[in-house]
Amino acid sequence: MNSKQHNKSQDQNTEKLREIPKWTRKYAQNRTLTAFVLMVMICLYSMGIGVTSYLAARGFIKGHIILASACIVVLAAILIFPIIFISKFGGKNRGLIGQKMDQWIYGREGTASIAVPELTKKKKWLDFVCGAVVLICMLGTMFLSMVGYIAFKYLQPVSALYIVPVFVFEYFLIRPRVGPLFLICPILYTIHAILIVAGVPIFFTGYLRFWNMVIPLFGYLFLTYVIAHLYSRYALKKLKALTHLEGDTANGD
Amino acid sequence: MEIDKIIHEPTRLRIMMILTGIEQADFNFLLTTLNLTRGNLSRHVEKLESAGYLKVKKSFNGKIPNTRYQLTQKGSKALAQYWENIDTLRRSGQS
Repeated sequence: MNSKQHNKSQDQNTEKLREIPKWTRKYAQNRTLTAFVLMVMICLYSMGIGVTSYLAARGFIKGHIILASACIVVLAAILIFPIIFISKFGGKNRGLIGQKMDQWIYGREGTASIAVPELTKKKKWLDFVCGAVVLICMLGTMFLSMVGYIAFKYLQPVSALYIVPVFVFEYFLIRPRVGPLFLICPILYTIHAILIVAGVPIFFTGYLRFWNMVIPLFGYLFLTYVIAHLYSRYALKKLKALTHLEGDTANGD
Repeated sequence: MEIDKIIHEPTRLRIMMILTGIEQADFNFLLTTLNLTRGNLSRHVEKLESAGYLKVKKSFNGKIPNTRYQLTQKGSKALAQYWENIDTLRRSGQS
């Protein structure tokens, strides 16, 4: 009886050990905090350009020359920033900012990474074309909304027609670097579009009507990153539970 | 059939299993995940490295040294063989 119990416990241990690669992979795939922080920085940068431009224009219109001049100086500094940034982190040092931030955010727990798949020339070209098409389509959709061909409330559903397929394509392009949680964003974006078409009033009106496409897109992206980050915490906890050894066993030879 | 003694040691088996799921991991990650002391982890990875199961890449993050580990093809094969042997032993023990 004792021997049977011993065998059973050994089998369970073996099965547990076999789960280590799975949880390590899940942890590495969902280390999204760096991407999240980078996205916040890009959003803040864009907001900085928007706010200072708006204030400068208002200053000139209302005759507040000091305010307008100050805003133009700030705007110039903001616009020069990418040049400094690219000189430091562009070209050969591309990817260095990600590494530095990764070190800053995850330094205490170390680094575990999954290889970024090597893209063929055809896939690289396709990736570039997809990015360009999405950008052109987004600007086109905005333009068509402004001239009255597309109602503002349908900005998001129309954009879903090209944003969702590109997101899914990108997922298949970069996996296994990212896990299936990456698909949360396109799934939520699709549900949002379907609900609007079905008549649910989940869109902005008034001044915010221009943001009907951008706010859901960034909102769902942020949400995806947060969910993935929380999942990485769970995966790390599971991994530690599988790998921690006690005292002598850990340090034995 | 012989069980690979280098891999069979619990800590080294865990290091190999961690590295088989990903491309590479650094010293710090293995240290916190396995809950080992620096000296012990160094000793275990040295054994795996000398057996040709791990590839070590040393670099600097600014002024801080960073050591990353990657499973070699030999290591992957040895690990797969190890599990095959363990399964065979378990099956023969059950029958």
